[in-house]
Amino acid sequence: MKNLAQRVVRPARNLLLLPGLLLPLPALAAGITVSDDDEREVHLEQPAERIVSLAPHVTELLFAIGAGDRVVGATQHSDYPEEAADLPRVGGYSRIDLERVIELEPDLVIAWRSGNSTAQIERLRDLGLTVYVSEPRHFDGVASGMRRMAQLAGTRDDGEAAAAAFLDRMEALRAEYAHRPPVRVFYQVWEQPLMTVNDDHLIAQAIEVCGGENVFGHLNRLVPRMDREAVIDADPEAIIGGGMGEDRPDWVEAWEEWPDLVAVQRDNLFFVPPSLLQRHTPRIAEGTEMMCEMLETTRSRRPD
Amino acid sequence: MTRSFLLAAAVLLPASVLAVLAALAWGSVHIPPADLLAVFLGEGSRLHSTLVLDLRLPRALAAFAAGGLLGLAGALMQVLLRNPLADPYVLGLSGGASVGALLAMLAGLSMVSVSAAAFAGALLSTIIVFGLAHGTGSWTPTRLLLTGVVVAAGWGAMISFILAVSPTAELPGMLYWLMGDVSHARNPYPAWGVLVLVVLLALPLGRTLNVLARGPMQAAALGVAVRPVEWGIYIAASLITATAVTQVGAVGFVGLIVPHMLRLVFGNDQRVILPASALAGGILLTLADTLARTMIAPEQLPVGVITAMLGVPVFLFLLYRSR
Amino acid sequence: MPADPLPHPGPDAPSVHERPDERTLLATRELVVDVPQRPDGAPLNLTVNPGQCWGILGPNGAGKSTLLHTLAGLRDPRAGQIEVRGRGLPAMPRAELARHLGLVFQSHHDGFPATVLETALIGRHPYLRPWDIETAEDYALARAALAEMDLSDMESRLVDTLSGGERQRLAIATVLTQNPNLLLLDEPTSQLDLHHQVAVLNRIRAIASRDRAAVLVLHDVNLAARYCDRLLLLFPDGQACWGPTPTMLVPSALERLYNQPLSVGEIDGHPVFLPRSD
Repeated sequence: MKNLAQRVVRPARNLLLLPGLLLPLPALAAGITVSDDDEREVHLEQPAERIVSLAPHVTELLFAIGAGDRVVGATQHSDYPEEAADLPRVGGYSRIDLERVIELEPDLVIAWRSGNSTAQIERLRDLGLTVYVSEPRHFDGVASGMRRMAQLAGTRDDGEAAAAAFLDRMEALRAEYAHRPPVRVFYQVWEQPLMTVNDDHLIAQAIEVCGGENVFGHLNRLVPRMDREAVIDADPEAIIGGGMGEDRPDWVEAWEEWPDLVAVQRDNLFFVPPSLLQRHTPRIAEGTEMMCEMLETTRSRRPD
Repeated sequence: MTRSFLLAAAVLLPASVLAVLAALAWGSVHIPPADLLAVFLGEGSRLHSTLVLDLRLPRALAAFAAGGLLGLAGALMQVLLRNPLADPYVLGLSGGASVGALLAMLAGLSMVSVSAAAFAGALLSTIIVFGLAHGTGSWTPTRLLLTGVVVAAGWGAMISFILAVSPTAELPGMLYWLMGDVSHARNPYPAWGVLVLVVLLALPLGRTLNVLARGPMQAAALGVAVRPVEWGIYIAASLITATAVTQVGAVGFVGLIVPHMLRLVFGNDQRVILPASALAGGILLTLADTLARTMIAPEQLPVGVITAMLGVPVFLFLLYRSR
Repeated sequence: MPADPLPHPGPDAPSVHERPDERTLLATRELVVDVPQRPDGAPLNLTVNPGQCWGILGPNGAGKSTLLHTLAGLRDPRAGQIEVRGRGLPAMPRAELARHLGLVFQSHHDGFPATVLETALIGRHPYLRPWDIETAEDYALARAALAEMDLSDMESRLVDTLSGGERQRLAIATVLTQNPNLLLLDEPTSQLDLHHQVAVLNRIRAIASRDRAAVLVLHDVNLAARYCDRLLLLFPDGQACWGPTPTMLVPSALERLYNQPLSVGEIDGHPVFLPRSD
C-alpha cells in the first residue's frame, strides 16, 4: 500500500534518471549490484549502513567480514560473536517480527532461504526493503557469499581478506588430510529421529576434506532419517555426533550398547559442537580441523 | 427476533470496530496514541504509516474476514448437520486445503500458488465428500457426517506422511500453516467480498433455516424446498471455509464455539445467529491474532494456538452451563 | 348395522359415489402407497371434501403414516396420482402446497432449543416471503392457536422441557397457526390424557365442519367412531376399504383389521368396540 506520492514520484524520478544512465559514470558513484544466492539482482545506491540479519549464521558472517558495526538487528540465537548477543531481536528465524524489522529502518535485509518463511521474505520486498537471500551450499558458496555481502556492506577489503583466509585454511586442511587412508564415517545430526547428512551437505564435504567417507552419502535426501539397523549394517569406523547445544549429548555414548560396532570397539565416538559445522560460517574451518584430527586419531587406532 | 437482532447489532458492530482499532493500535512496536491519530489523519511519520497501514491494517482486515467466514461457516454447518458439535472442518475441508498447501510448499512454489493450492484442495475435498455421501441417492446428515469424518481422517494421514518425508527446512513453515497463521495473509479484499456476499444471501434464508433445523420432514411440510436449500448451505459453507483456510490456514475453534456462545445469549433464530456469527468470529480472530503477535514479542505465535487457548475454557464453560 | 361378512370397497368407489368437484380439497386416483418391502396394496380412490373428518384405521405397519406422508407430498407413491384443489401434486410448488395442507407428525424432532411460541410461529412460514419478519398479526394467530391447545402459560418455555402430551399439543397448535384448508394428523392424541384427547378432537371436528377437512390417523376405533364421519380401513395384507363411518363399522371387518376378536356394544347411540378375550 504505497501512498500516492510514492506511486507517482518514484517512477517519475526513475524516468528523469534514465538519460543519466547513458553517460559513462565513475565506478565508485554507480551504486552496488550483486547477485544473491537465489540469483536475484540486489542493488544498493550506496553501501548499507543499517543491516538486519534474519539468521544466526548471517549475523556471524557479517561480523566476520567486518560489517558488525552496521548490523542493527538480528534474529534469536544470533550468539556469535559475543557482541551479537546484544543486538536488538527481530523474532525467530522461522517467524520474523516484521514490525521490529521495519522499525529498525534497515537499508539491507539479509535473509536465509531454508530457514525463513518465503511469505515473509516476499512481504519485506513488497514493503520496499532491499533483501539479499543467503543460501550457501559449498565452501565456495560460503566464501563467495562473504565477498558479495562485503560489497553490499562497503567492507570489500575486510570481506575479501576473511573469505581468502577461510578458503586458504580449508585448502590447507585438504592438502594435509584429503589423501590420507579413507575412514568410513557416520555423522549423526540428531537422535530422535536418527538423522544424518548426504554428500550434498556441507558437513559431508568437510568429511571429504578430512579424508573421510560418509557412509550414507549416497542417499537421496539432504538430511535423511533412518533407523539404527542401517548404521549397524554400515558398521562405520568412526561416529561423529552433532546435536543442538554445545555440550556432548548422551546419545554419542549410547552407541556403546552395540559393542560389535568397530567404532565402539576402538572407542572412535566423537563430538564436534554443531555451531562449528552446522552453521555456514568461517568457523566451519575450525570444526573441520577438529574433525580431521578425530579422523587421524581413528587411523592411529587401527591394528597394524 | 427483532429485539435480539437489534441487541446483537448494538453490541457486535461497535465491538468489531474496536477490535480492528485495537489491532491497529497494538503491535510489537509501541506507537503512542498521538502518533496513531496522526497516521489516521495522514500526517504520521513514514515509519508509523508503514507499520499501521501497510502491516497492521491488511493483517487486521484479513483476520476479521477470515474469522467472520469461519464463524458463519460454523453456524451454517451446525444447521445443515443439525448438530451443535459441527464445525467448518468436520467434512474434511481443512484437511484437503492443508494437503494442497503442504504439497505446494514442498514443491517450493510461491505463496500465491500455496494459497491457490489450498483452495483447490478444499474444493476437491468438498467434491469427494459430496460424491461419496451422495452415492446411493439420498443422504442424511448422519451419512454426510460419517463420510466427512472418514475423508478428514484420510487427509490427516496424508498430512502426517508429508510432514514425515519433508526436508527439515520446510517443516516450520508447514507447521505454522497447519496451526493457523495470519501473518502471510496479503490481500484481504476477496475474502471480504465473499463474506459480505454470503451474509447478504444468508439473511433472507434465515427463517427458512430455522424451519429446516426442525428436521427435513417438518420443513418440507411447511413448504421448504429441503434438498436445494441443503445443497445451497453445503456449497456456501464449503466455499467460505475454503476462502478462510486459504487466507489463514486451519484455525480451529472459531467455527465451533462462536455460534454456540451466541446461541446462549441471543437464542436460536438464524436471522440473528448468522450475521452475529460473522461479526463475532471476526472479532475473535482479530483479537486472537493481535495477542498472537504481541504476547511474547518479538517471538510470534500462530493464531491457532490463541484461539485454542481461548476456545477450550469457553467450551468447557458452555458445557457446564448447559447441564 | 349391515352384517356383510366380507368388506368391499364402500359406496365411495369412483363408479358410484362422490366424484371430485371444484370444492374437493384432495383427491386420489388409483393411488398405491410405497411401503418398503411390501407388495402393492389396493389402489385408493379417495375424495376429501370440505366438512369431512376422515379417520384412518389399521394395525401397526399397515402403512398409515406412510399414506399420510404420501398425501402430503413428502413421499412418492408407487402408482397413481394425488390432486390438491384440482392440481396434480408434483406440479405444485412446495410452498404453495403448504398453504393448502398441513401435517402433524407422530414424532417431533427439535434440533436446537426453541420456545413454545417460536415453534408455533413457524406455522406462518408458508405465508411469509424471505425478507418478511413476522408481524403482530402472525404473533396473534400463534397465540390464539396456543390458547386453543391450552398452552398459553407455557409460551416462553423451551420445547425440550415439555412433556410428551404438551409437545403433541404444540404440534397441533403449529398446524392451527398454519391454518390450511386440509389438516393431516398422524395419531394426534396418542400421548394426551383423556381430557385433552376429547378437547383436541372436538376442536378438530369443529374446524373440519366448516370449509375445511381433516384426515386423522387414529389408533382407537372408538374415537374414530365418535369423531369421524368417514373411515378408511387399511388391512395388513394391503387391502383397503373406505366410506361413511356407519358402513365401515362392520365387526367382522374390524376384527380382521386388528386380528383381534371384539365385543360390540352401544353407548349414547354410538357403537363401542372392546377387545374380547376368549
